[in-house]
Amino acid sequence: MRLYEFEGKGLFGKFKIPIPDGRVASTPDEVDAIAKEINAPPAPKPQVLTGGRGKAGGVKVVDNPADARAGAEELFELTIKGFPVEKLLVEPKLDIKKELYLGVTIDRLNYKLVIIASGEGGVDIEEIAEKSPEKIFRKSLDIDEELYGFDAIEIAKKIGISSELTKQATPIVVNLLKLFKAYDAKLAEINPLVITGDGKLIAADSRISLDDDAVFRHPDLADMGIEKRHEEGEMTPREQQATEWGIPYLDLDGNIGMFPGGAGFGIMGNDFIQYYGGKPANFMDSGGGPTPERLARMLVLLNENPNVKVIFGARFGGISRCDDFAKGVTMFLKEHGLSKPMVCRMTGNMWQEGVRLFDEAKKENPELFKNFEFHGIETPIEEISKRAVELARIAEGGN
Amino acid sequence: MAILVDKNSKVMVQGITGGAGSFHTKRMIAYGTNIVGGTTPGKGGREVEGRPVFDTVAECVGGTGADTSVIFLPARFVKDAAIESIRAGVKFVVVVPEHIPIHDMLLVRKEAMKHGCTVLGGNTAGIITPGEANLGIMPDIAFTAGRVGTVSRSGSITYYIADTLTRSGYGETTCVGLGGDPILGSTFDEILAMFDADEKTRAVVMTGEIGGVYEERACDQISRMKTPVIAMIGGIFAPQGKRMGHAGAIVEGKMGTAKEKLDALAAAGAHPARTFKDIPEILKKLGV
Repeated sequence: MRLYEFEGKGLFGKFKIPIPDGRVASTPDEVDAIAKEINAPPAPKPQVLTGGRGKAGGVKVVDNPADARAGAEELFELTIKGFPVEKLLVEPKLDIKKELYLGVTIDRLNYKLVIIASGEGGVDIEEIAEKSPEKIFRKSLDIDEELYGFDAIEIAKKIGISSELTKQATPIVVNLLKLFKAYDAKLAEINPLVITGDGKLIAADSRISLDDDAVFRHPDLADMGIEKRHEEGEMTPREQQATEWGIPYLDLDGNIGMFPGGAGFGIMGNDFIQYYGGKPANFMDSGGGPTPERLARMLVLLNENPNVKVIFGARFGGISRCDDFAKGVTMFLKEHGLSKPMVCRMTGNMWQEGVRLFDEAKKENPELFKNFEFHGIETPIEEISKRAVELARIAEGGN
Repeated sequence: MAILVDKNSKVMVQGITGGAGSFHTKRMIAYGTNIVGGTTPGKGGREVEGRPVFDTVAECVGGTGADTSVIFLPARFVKDAAIESIRAGVKFVVVVPEHIPIHDMLLVRKEAMKHGCTVLGGNTAGIITPGEANLGIMPDIAFTAGRVGTVSRSGSITYYIADTLTRSGYGETTCVGLGGDPILGSTFDEILAMFDADEKTRAVVMTGEIGGVYEERACDQISRMKTPVIAMIGGIFAPQGKRMGHAGAIVEGKMGTAKEKLDALAAAGAHPARTFKDIPEILKKLGV
């Protein structure tokens, strides 16, 4: 879960990492009021959950506080990588002498925390890592290992912080790691950490990402107004609908609607379709042991998607049950009707019962099943994939 | 022979009185797994499926000789439960629940390494040695005792592959689910090394997927193995997934896309498979 810059800076403040004296505004009027209050050239920054604000024209320094309102009006019109600008963080412009980089993240390969520091900050740290790796300093630690003051001094020295600034630098390094551990972070970055003209170290930007799976133990985040949110880009209406239903779903640009089991085959099934010359319209994950209602909703997403020309279904019942699968599909057919061909394979846990339920429903109303091709364990999944690709080609007018 | 678990394993269940715990205890026993007992704090003295329940793992180990534990508890209790088992001398812990906090798993891994314990998961479907023991939530339908080992992140992929091996007459020695969480108790290279040391395992099928760092870590191991490895990676055509951010990308370098993973594994000597039906063909060529 990624935090807004102002939320990250709020946590910095809590951990005594120096930040500019900024405030958040939601209207040009508020920007105007804050600009007068801070009594310095204001630098309003859009608050969006993505990088690259500078490139999108999203950082403005206004030399005269009286011009702040007009500058803010322009910023509120912006959309940055699909994110509309709804809030601005208004801070006094900093007199920057030097920009540094300081971050903490997880090295999953080695099961360690790693502190990353560089004398060159403010720009894309990945670029520096690639072009001049010698300019990046790393220190690995176990999750329960303490970072001592002398470790922090060493890091400060490595990135060229002068002797007289080490007293300011040491607590920033130590406290950034404390924050990282205290809030179950995956990433905590100060980029840039600036040295100002009057010799102060200040966190000019924040980038913090927390572990979604640990938010439950930080109820104070909600008190700070920080709640679970989506991280990257704008969701399509279908992705929003799926999210509301709790179904992991992504729109892709093909025409074969994917109705798989768990994430593992959800990913690999998409590959199979493409090996045989087709293109999936989506990625989806049923989760373990989906209910019939959930399965029916998964099908609604595909049935109502005009890009989908054929639906590919696969169920290998493990923790999930084929009888539930048959119930979900039948529920969908009865309530919505299948508007396009569907080819489907079902095997595994309770498959006999699943087949019985399908047979029964079909006997009752054969019309419902006229677009529905059903296969069991005797047909390999590769054949089903090929059949879906073939049906899609026919539906598009091919032969 | 098999790896990690067989008919002699003395298996306990943490959270044995809970809904999932008691349900799967029954299933595991029905399969023939040697379940010796379990724990639920505050419910010591009861029985589930005729097996004794204890308050602590140390008591369960003392009373039953348990050497293996399967955890069926909410994610927030896993750190405590896993470390309790590790410190009580349990040598193999299977973490079935998903969404274990990352910082918790870092600590569990550290404790496990210190005490010589193997941890699988979180978010694993479990592990099965066909005909001997089934730990976790895997259905028994697809599995038959045989000569190929499997290791995968995903439960459903494990079923498809075991089904393919079963139908083509190869069967399986042990099928291992590493788990789907971002930080895992064990990695591909560690499980591959165990298969390489197992006399009965004639080949291993490993299936990974896009994202993460664990597949690349297997390369060194594969290049040193005498047992052939067949590799499949899901997500060859998937759009690039989300990353952990700049600093994460630096640490992990350019790792992560399915194509890069498969290329790296093939360069290390693994035999790439595109679909499940490629697997028996490759095994045949290898003379397995």
